[in-house]
Amino acid sequence: MEHVTVTKTYRFSAGHRLAIKGLTDEENFRIFDTCSNPGGHGHDYYLEVKAAGGIDPVSGFAVPESALDEAVMPVIEELDYKRLDIEVSYFSGNQPTGENIAEYIWKRLRAGLGKSLVHIRLSETATSYFEFYEEETYPYER
Amino acid sequence: MGYRKLLTKRMDFSASHRYWNPEWSEEKNKEVFGKSASPHGHGHNYALELTVEGEADPETGMIINLYDLKKIMKEVLEDFDHKHLNEDNPHFKTLVPTTENIARVLWDGFKERIPGDERCRLYRVRLYETRDMYVDYWRDED
Repeated sequence: MEHVTVTKTYRFSAGHRLAIKGLTDEENFRIFDTCSNPGGHGHDYYLEVKAAGGIDPVSGFAVPESALDEAVMPVIEELDYKRLDIEVSYFSGNQPTGENIAEYIWKRLRAGLGKSLVHIRLSETATSYFEFYEEETYPYER
Repeated sequence: MGYRKLLTKRMDFSASHRYWNPEWSEEKNKEVFGKSASPHGHGHNYALELTVEGEADPETGMIINLYDLKKIMKEVLEDFDHKHLNEDNPHFKTLVPTTENIARVLWDGFKERIPGDERCRLYRVRLYETRDMYVDYWRDED
């Protein structure tokens, strides 16, 4: 059986503050360290989106880049240059951690790309990244 | 728990191509392929990562000799490097030279030279068209 995946990297920059509502700044600092800085801070996020498909014999595409862009760009637009926990409603109830941002992006992309979406990787810094996928639609070890 | 031993060699090549389906009107080609349908083609710096899996030979300690692998990759890439794929590469007289199709043709070329045995078999072709976009291609039966 033939396997083809297409992976494209997107970038966005966003600010966030990790804190539990109701706790003092000191208490939040004990849990979240510098990530709880009251004024927030930001990162350049790199998002790798991987989609799978059969190669269309006519166009030669498994997943057209334009289909990826169409699904991903609205999400990038929503997050880029935003303070996530203030300006993106999902993160008023969920901590804007890499894990949660990845899950949110996954849910948004699934709506556009359906089951062809198989894996995402979100790099928050050069030394940390987060992955999100569903086991049943990611039978790829490679 | 089993383990898996992989070896990857990277080789860059530069090629031009044009996305064009002769069965379609000019309008349809422009609609599907956008700027990639431009009449004289355009180019990319491709990066190929070929991965093989297998067992290291007890005497040499190698799955495959990297010099042999380099020779094989150079040989397969001869019709690609500094070529106009639609004009100069016989595989793309009718086939659209998308990243997906190039990855498949490369796999076939490697498969001919590395049919696969207990010691060493093809694992994956990863082809970067740009730094931001790559295609993974592999076949199970190989």
